Amino acid sequence: MPGLTTEFRHTLRRLRGQILGWGIGLALYGLLMGAMYDAINNITGLEDILANYPPEMMAFFGDRIALNTPEGYFGTYYSSYMPIIVGIFAAGAAAGLLAGDEERGTLDLTLSYPVSRTALFWGRWMAYALATALILFIGYLGWAVTLPMSTMDVTWSALLRPFLPLWAVSMLFGALALLLSLILPSARMASMIAGALLVANFLLAGLANLNDNLRPIMDVTPFAFLQSGEALNGLNWGWLAGLTAVALLLSAAAWLLFRRRDIRVGGERGWSWRLRLRER
Amino acid sequence: MTTEPALSIQGLTKSYGRVQALRGVDLEVNRGEIFGFLGPNGAGKTTTIRCLLDLIRPDGGTARVLGLDPQANSIAVRSRVTYLPGELSLEANLSAERALRYLADLRGDNIDWNRVRELARRLSLDLKTQIKNMSKGNKQKVGVVQAFMAPADLLLLDEPTSGLDPLMQQEVYRLVREAQAAGATIFFSSHIISEVQAIAERVAIIRDGRIIRTLDPHELIAMSTRRVRVRLREPLPEGTLTAIPGLTLIERTLIERNGMTLTVQVEGEMDALIKALAPFPVVDLETERPSLEEIFLTLYEE
Repeated sequence: MPGLTTEFRHTLRRLRGQILGWGIGLALYGLLMGAMYDAINNITGLEDILANYPPEMMAFFGDRIALNTPEGYFGTYYSSYMPIIVGIFAAGAAAGLLAGDEERGTLDLTLSYPVSRTALFWGRWMAYALATALILFIGYLGWAVTLPMSTMDVTWSALLRPFLPLWAVSMLFGALALLLSLILPSARMASMIAGALLVANFLLAGLANLNDNLRPIMDVTPFAFLQSGEALNGLNWGWLAGLTAVALLLSAAAWLLFRRRDIRVGGERGWSWRLRLRER
Repeated sequence: MTTEPALSIQGLTKSYGRVQALRGVDLEVNRGEIFGFLGPNGAGKTTTIRCLLDLIRPDGGTARVLGLDPQANSIAVRSRVTYLPGELSLEANLSAERALRYLADLRGDNIDWNRVRELARRLSLDLKTQIKNMSKGNKQKVGVVQAFMAPADLLLLDEPTSGLDPLMQQEVYRLVREAQAAGATIFFSSHIISEVQAIAERVAIIRDGRIIRTLDPHELIAMSTRRVRVRLREPLPEGTLTAIPGLTLIERTLIERNGMTLTVQVEGEMDALIKALAPFPVVDLETERPSLEEIFLTLYEE
């Protein structure tokens, strides 16, 4: 497909600063938390301290506050926050993949070259998917280097497992941002809404532990299928495939919209698609 | 060589919400022709060009580019066409060379990099400079280089000399003529009459999304009135200019040392006025070109 590899390489090059910035940040945090595993677990009376926490707070974090286990520690201090952190990158980068260039006016010239919209879309999408994976992998390396130095009984391959659901859920919210960027007037608005939904889902996941009435809603959201520290003991492949499939479906919907889209000229933002619908 | 027109547009319409940008554009551009597309801002020039590249989809009508439907054969069309956007935007963090290499990769062919360097030299463009550090004129030069770096059957140039100084404008005109000599068709939009006169062989005038007229660019000036100011070393005898058809005397001023200035309005060609003035010592002669709006007024009056 002409232009696919060019767009892939070009987008990856554009994202390289973010890959390094976000990746190194995550790696340093992983390094810190990995190195502190023994110190935290050796705190005398830690279980008593946790037992004295308000029950609402304990419930908010679910059953993960078993800090003396690798999955409890990893889930509480690392992987439960990661969807928010990586999701911010994912939503911002995905919303800017096409609509950002369109708003800057650079897409006009790019699409005057013999590259199909399909090649341009999927070339950029693949680079973005790889960039998200690379950020998580650099983050993984930060934690992985601490394993030989701690008593955390986890292999390197087992440590890699929780990063897969993290990637899938980041891709899902990224794909949502990408789809919204082709519907809403601006890329920034799309990333903000996708980001807000991500944070809302994170909060809902905690609140559903406090209020059973929220459970039915929570059960149909992406975070219900996100394995945190428990993925260290084994992956739920069905959940992982489900999250990935939804991400792909949202991306495919964005691709269909992009194929039929009137490319806006630089600086143009608006609700023209709504006006057209109203006129019909 | 095929005789099919390079561009054939019939009844092209396009709306943005309630704004009707094109109201039925009909146009035909022959192969190997330099064709000017003249109109004020917002007339529909850019919208027409963007429909030809499948960047936007028309609501109605048909367009054929090099004999192909630009929607059904989008890639085939774009592989034979180069484009210079009217509002050129390039990735700010790239150098000119990196931006051009990316675009060359997209074209897929092996672009002759010596050609790129030659174009940069002719346009006095430093390829190492980052786009974000460039002036508007230099960014436009990058746009010109990308439009001319690959061999093309058709060049779609949307206001190609925008932001360029007069010397560089002349260089762009030379590039256009060279492309034509190499067999390409050039379709360029402009709102500058002198530019259209300088290079176009035919010109279509568009206003409010409709083609008003297609004509020879020299007719543009001939069809409109111009103000001419003549300074003579000695007073002109009474009645010298009265017989010239289409001439109206606006002002006649005697100046020191028996000289005189005359301001007249001329409709059509200047030939009769120049011949009438030939026996007299003319110190200076200035003509004011008609504005695009004046030409439109003339066309509407017709």
